[in-house]
Amino acid sequence: MNAAFADFLFVTTCVVYTVAAILFGLHLAGADRGPPAGRLAPKLVAVGVVLHASHIVVSSLVLRICPVEGMHFAMSVVSMLAGAVYLAARVRFRIDVVGAFVTPVALTFLLASRWVGTAGQEPSNKIKSAILPLHVAVNLLGDALFLLAFAAAVTYLVQERRLKTKRLAGLFQRLPPLDALDKAEHRFLLLGFPLLTLGILTGTLWARRVELGSSADQWRAAFGYATWVLFAGVLFLRAVAGWRGRRAAYGTIAGFGLAVIVLALYLWRSVAPAPVALEPGAARPVTAALDRGAAIAERERELDGAGQ
Amino acid sequence: MIVVIGVSHRTAPVEVREKFAASSDALPQVLARLSSRQELRETLFLSTCNRVEVFAASKALPPAEGAIHEVLAERAGIAPADIAPYLYRREGKEAVRHIFRVAASLDSMVLGEPQILGQVKDAFEAANAAGTLGSYLGRCVHRAFGVAKRVRSETSLGAGLVSISSVAIDLAKKIFGELAGHSVLLVGAGEMAEQAAKSLGKDAREIRVCNRSYERGTALAQSIGGEVAPWSALEPELVRSDVVIVSTASPGYVITKETLKRVMRVRRGRTLFVIDISVPRNVEPNAHTIDNVFVFNVDDLEGQVAENMKLRQSEVSAAEAIVEEELADFEAWARSLDVQPAIVALRAKTRGILMAELERSLGTRLKHLGEGERAALTQMVESATNKLLHEPTTRLRASASSSSSGELVQALKHLFELPDVGRPDEPAPEAGDGPERIH
Repeated sequence: MNAAFADFLFVTTCVVYTVAAILFGLHLAGADRGPPAGRLAPKLVAVGVVLHASHIVVSSLVLRICPVEGMHFAMSVVSMLAGAVYLAARVRFRIDVVGAFVTPVALTFLLASRWVGTAGQEPSNKIKSAILPLHVAVNLLGDALFLLAFAAAVTYLVQERRLKTKRLAGLFQRLPPLDALDKAEHRFLLLGFPLLTLGILTGTLWARRVELGSSADQWRAAFGYATWVLFAGVLFLRAVAGWRGRRAAYGTIAGFGLAVIVLALYLWRSVAPAPVALEPGAARPVTAALDRGAAIAERERELDGAGQ
Repeated sequence: MIVVIGVSHRTAPVEVREKFAASSDALPQVLARLSSRQELRETLFLSTCNRVEVFAASKALPPAEGAIHEVLAERAGIAPADIAPYLYRREGKEAVRHIFRVAASLDSMVLGEPQILGQVKDAFEAANAAGTLGSYLGRCVHRAFGVAKRVRSETSLGAGLVSISSVAIDLAKKIFGELAGHSVLLVGAGEMAEQAAKSLGKDAREIRVCNRSYERGTALAQSIGGEVAPWSALEPELVRSDVVIVSTASPGYVITKETLKRVMRVRRGRTLFVIDISVPRNVEPNAHTIDNVFVFNVDDLEGQVAENMKLRQSEVSAAEAIVEEELADFEAWARSLDVQPAIVALRAKTRGILMAELERSLGTRLKHLGEGERAALTQMVESATNKLLHEPTTRLRASASSSSSGELVQALKHLFELPDVGRPDEPAPEAGDGPERIH
């Protein structure tokens, strides 16, 4: 396992996601009369998810860190999980086209993971805890589900707007049925909410133990609680007051916005203090970290050779 | 040459068309009758609700047309002179264009409808099974399938739905996905609502009828396989239904925005699709602004039909261009059949002369040669024939796609005194075999 192979997987994943996003775009624009872009695109997402998962595994082995322990992989893992859940759910809910929203977001998160944050940055001893991997893992999976709920909600609003304005040709014909989108959005929220709850609980416990108290930590916690309250409200009002469709979609979009802010604050924290000294002139922290991982492995081989 | 004779929705009313029509069971009999006529080399019989047509390939057209007239008149039970006003005929290139246009649904009553291709395919299968298709007409019809496929994939001629009930069903499916778990309510007992309900009800979980006249409602419910509800239960019925088709004779609103607001509170926001096909309208139009309520009136649906028809119309020129392109290809192939006999005759004559000279020499001056040498000389004659005729053959084939091919063939016949030989798709004068079957 070396950095070059991780780089190869990264680039290939980006290319596959890009092509899938273009095919989805062509399909939505109605420009795929010849080749069936709408059918091919989800298959490419499947290939992309496999490559993406491989990239995460290989990069973790090179960097010698657990992918759910540090924040570096957070965005990358979220987008990979979102792709995987999309693939599992697309047939059941007939929401193939939601891939048109998931794929560009997955690509953006993947690219962001390369240039935002520091890959080799391990959590400091102060914040290291047995709860941390669980906290990060449930939050990542929850965020992946909220991303899908968000995509379904946006698609719902587009489709609902088309129906309300009675524009029934073109895009309307290519988007999934309205109720399928509403149902999918609700299911993704139902699945994501317990994970978010667990994430909030573990986060609260962990924060108390390590006595995190900076203003950024407090803001992050506040936004985390606000996300939980908003999603809880959306689910509660749907069950009790029949808040379906448009209202639920707006609530889901707002909730996902808050979840993104929480994620952004995590990333900001990991970038701002720059706790790990990077090589001078390193333009791309991740590449530098991957190179450093490769250098460590090389050094170990040398030591092994010397010992024999 | 190909000829088409028939009646269609453009030339004859349904009471005339139905006299010529043949069910799939009767097709073998009709085809047997057509193929029993010596004037017709290949035949195909197409019978749909909008057209009945006989396609035939024949060397001599007037006798072939006479034969088709007689068979059609016999089938309709009308004198040949009386059916003439309803019949149309196309021959040669026009006939091929007609087949291509029919298969591509350019000549259909509802432009771009998809059923016609399946009907042409069924007619093709029946003719093939009856052994009435050969290499010429068979290839033409087969080519028509390719034309239809290209038109469907390269244009939007078949895009969108073009009837009110199909647009309503499509809308319901675009809102609810599958209708299997949903309930349909028919408010009123209008004829159009009945048609739409029949189409929707096939997939729906249940269908209920709510009408002012309970007796009329019961009768309608029975005819569409649904259940009846009293008029007083309209609001609870709206609560339990997902698709509502309204068609009453009431001069005012039967379902108001306030009613639907109350209904939606009880439904807890479950989506409600209301199709109001009454004139004047029976559902307050601004009920459409309520969350998760979608109200479509007859103008909305007709507007969609018109939009789809407009889209299809805009694709006609692109579809016609594909037809013309494929027609040119087919014509080129057909012309290559014209030069083929000349090529075969020229080759036979050249080889015959050379072989005769060789035989004479082998019988006189070269009679001392052994078997090996004789075989070598025969091989030499074959090679010389091939090399000598390679260039003229190639040029003649190349000219097949141009209009000058006929002149070239005539010149060749004149210069080399070639005999008249029929096209490969036509029987030799003495041959009485049936056509080669197409698969």
